[in-house]
Amino acid sequence: MITTIANRIFGMLVVMLIVVTIVFVIVRVTPGDPAAVMLGPDANAADIAALRTQLGLDRPMLVQYGQYIFDVARGDFGQSIFLGQPVLSALADRAEPTFFLTLFSLAIAVAIALPIGILSAYRRGSLFDQAATTLAMLAASIPSFWLGLLMIQFFAVKLGWFPTSGYGGPGTNLAERLHHLVLPAFALGIVSSALIIRFTRASMLDVLGDDYVRTARSKGMSERRVVLRHALKNALIPILTIIGLTAALLISGAVVTETVFSLPGVGNLVVNAVLRRDYPVIQGALLVVAGLYVLINFGIDMLYILVDPRVRY
Amino acid sequence: MTAGLMVATAIVSYPALAAEPVRGGVIDVATIGEPPTLDPMASTADLVGIVSQHIFETLYTFGADWTVVPLLAESLPEVSADGRTYTIKLRQGVTFHDGSTMDSADVLASLKRWETVASRGQQAAKIITSIEAPDASTIRIVLNEPYAPLLSLLAFNNAAAIILPEENVAVPMEKIVGTGPYMLKERKPDQYIQLTRFDGYHSREDASNGYGGARHQYLDEIRFVPVPDPNTRVEGAVAGQFAYVDSIPVESVGRLSSGKSEAVTLKPFGWPVFIMNTKEGLMSDVAKRRAVLTALNPEDMLIAGFGSTDFFAVDGALYPDGYSWHNEEGVSAYGIGDPEKAAAALKEAGYDGTTPLRILTSRQYEFHYKMAEVAAEYLKLAGFPVQLDVVDWATLTQRRQDPKLWDIYITHSPFLPEPALIGVMQDTSPGWWASEAKSAALKAFNSEADPAKRAELFKAVQKVFYDEVPAFKVGDFNAVAAKSPALNGVTPAPWPYFWNASLAQ
Repeated sequence: MITTIANRIFGMLVVMLIVVTIVFVIVRVTPGDPAAVMLGPDANAADIAALRTQLGLDRPMLVQYGQYIFDVARGDFGQSIFLGQPVLSALADRAEPTFFLTLFSLAIAVAIALPIGILSAYRRGSLFDQAATTLAMLAASIPSFWLGLLMIQFFAVKLGWFPTSGYGGPGTNLAERLHHLVLPAFALGIVSSALIIRFTRASMLDVLGDDYVRTARSKGMSERRVVLRHALKNALIPILTIIGLTAALLISGAVVTETVFSLPGVGNLVVNAVLRRDYPVIQGALLVVAGLYVLINFGIDMLYILVDPRVRY
Repeated sequence: MTAGLMVATAIVSYPALAAEPVRGGVIDVATIGEPPTLDPMASTADLVGIVSQHIFETLYTFGADWTVVPLLAESLPEVSADGRTYTIKLRQGVTFHDGSTMDSADVLASLKRWETVASRGQQAAKIITSIEAPDASTIRIVLNEPYAPLLSLLAFNNAAAIILPEENVAVPMEKIVGTGPYMLKERKPDQYIQLTRFDGYHSREDASNGYGGARHQYLDEIRFVPVPDPNTRVEGAVAGQFAYVDSIPVESVGRLSSGKSEAVTLKPFGWPVFIMNTKEGLMSDVAKRRAVLTALNPEDMLIAGFGSTDFFAVDGALYPDGYSWHNEEGVSAYGIGDPEKAAAALKEAGYDGTTPLRILTSRQYEFHYKMAEVAAEYLKLAGFPVQLDVVDWATLTQRRQDPKLWDIYITHSPFLPEPALIGVMQDTSPGWWASEAKSAALKAFNSEADPAKRAELFKAVQKVFYDEVPAFKVGDFNAVAAKSPALNGVTPAPWPYFWNASLAQ
């Protein structure tokens, strides 16, 4: 057992090292110079060279790489070139909007998708089913940024219910900040609901034809009880899987939505870091995300080991 | 004051004159993004200057007619007869945001920092022999040759010669402490930069004059909010979410008719420019550069870039009508738009039509790209195989440093108050335009202190520009912003400022 865990941890470290290396190399070979961006359009070559020296970007790539690995191993992800703050603290500052945005979007997607998917399967072939399928296709085809802009125009500009962008000014409380998330969460949630609608419908259709559903009906059980208690319970496993997958997709979808709505989240930070060539932030953010994935996988592996002893061998 | 500025100022200032400014209120200003730094010495980016000019001040600044006026200096300097020694008296009783009083030791330390940190300071350092502080309220700058642009360099608000407390001149800047009317309270990157009124501010008493004169602190707070997406900025303006929205795409101006925001036009704002690589490659041959100038049709390019003549003017003069620098010397070579004539000139220059003309541009500013597309068609007609290299702005700023990678790159600039500050006038700026004729014309221009004589001498500079074609000035373009009707006292300016601004009750 201990050997297995040790092996997994070793494997995990190797994966992280590969991720660090790939990200480091890609960031360095991408054209664009953070010093030139930072100094502005009228900066001369000497200024840019001086700033590159100050930032340590003039050192050989291998030396920079070695230093970076050494620093990361000590838990030091470096300092953002532009923000003047440590990368980890920049990421921590951006965690809140991204976390709530993902959570809200997922809740909205599920709240829309489950009833529509279930009803659509139950009334297969009906006008409602056809309309739901068409709408799901439409929602899947709409880019979230475009939907976001439409929602800004209607709900923020025309009706004035929500702010057009941002995450609140100084001194805003959580409720005010969450108010800023309503439109982006709906924009993202609606687009994400399409996939869940289609899976829910398919999954429900699978189980509604099963023998136990027929048995339940023949026993005189109410339709509501048959669908929600018997069929849904069994259809839920693949639906939960797709909801989990959607949660992962939402994190990447949030990148665009955060940009359109000027939300200071992790996605926005990464996009800006790429535009500014803020190497430490790009590396740090990708490393943290990759680390999360690796940790989740490690957790699942450990669960397997607990549940199924054969995995140990 | 330029004619355009006078008109724009009159339109926008009228309501401000009608209502007595009210003290108090908070404004949100939507900007095009997050400034890379709040140290204005460390960057020439406009956004850095826009925000930081509220916090930091310079010895001099620009008045409404773009003449240099004193700010932290008491008055214009006393210049020795040989034009080499500038004696500057400092204002008394000016305090920093940390409560300390400004004296010549602070100014001396700050100007030394400027000479090493700021690109414009390094430019000045080449002709500065020494900077001294003979007493607590005097600074003396000694030059190794007369250099008229010195005051403009000291007045500029990016790569700016800001005055910091002597003990706070570390690089990078550790504390954001200046003498400006507003001070930094909180910065949440990509969310807001919150400035609050500096109660210890010691304003000048002379009448407000452009960036100079009295700076009234009517507003309690100014918050700069980054909104990088242009569409979102427009919607924010239409919804009335911001008191001021910088940089509105010209095609969206029609949407600002709701009454919650109104358009503010700075006419003219600046010039789009195709910089040519005079060092290496195709464009190192002046005959081919002239052929490019002959081939291009600026009107078609400007229509593609800005849509309507409300937002541009076809104008080859380096400064538009209304600026003292305006003249028509050499301009007849501009605006020909004759690819056939250009083709003949290219043949005569020995061009075989096989080496591609590489145009480096980005879509960061969509008008750059649109103008490049039109230019490419004219240049193809002239016989150039054109290679359009479209990259992002960060890549462009890096690639333009390497003369092997491009023949033309596209950028733009506001009309800078001092021609010596124009990028193409520096021999080391990408494009690397250097010639005897340029040096002679610029030396004569930069050594002359008398503004009227300088305006005459600038004609020779412009003539060399059109003789040697180091760049193609496409024309003049206007900048559009949006402001709330309740916000008074904002004058259209290339670097908008909000001291003197107030909210109607």
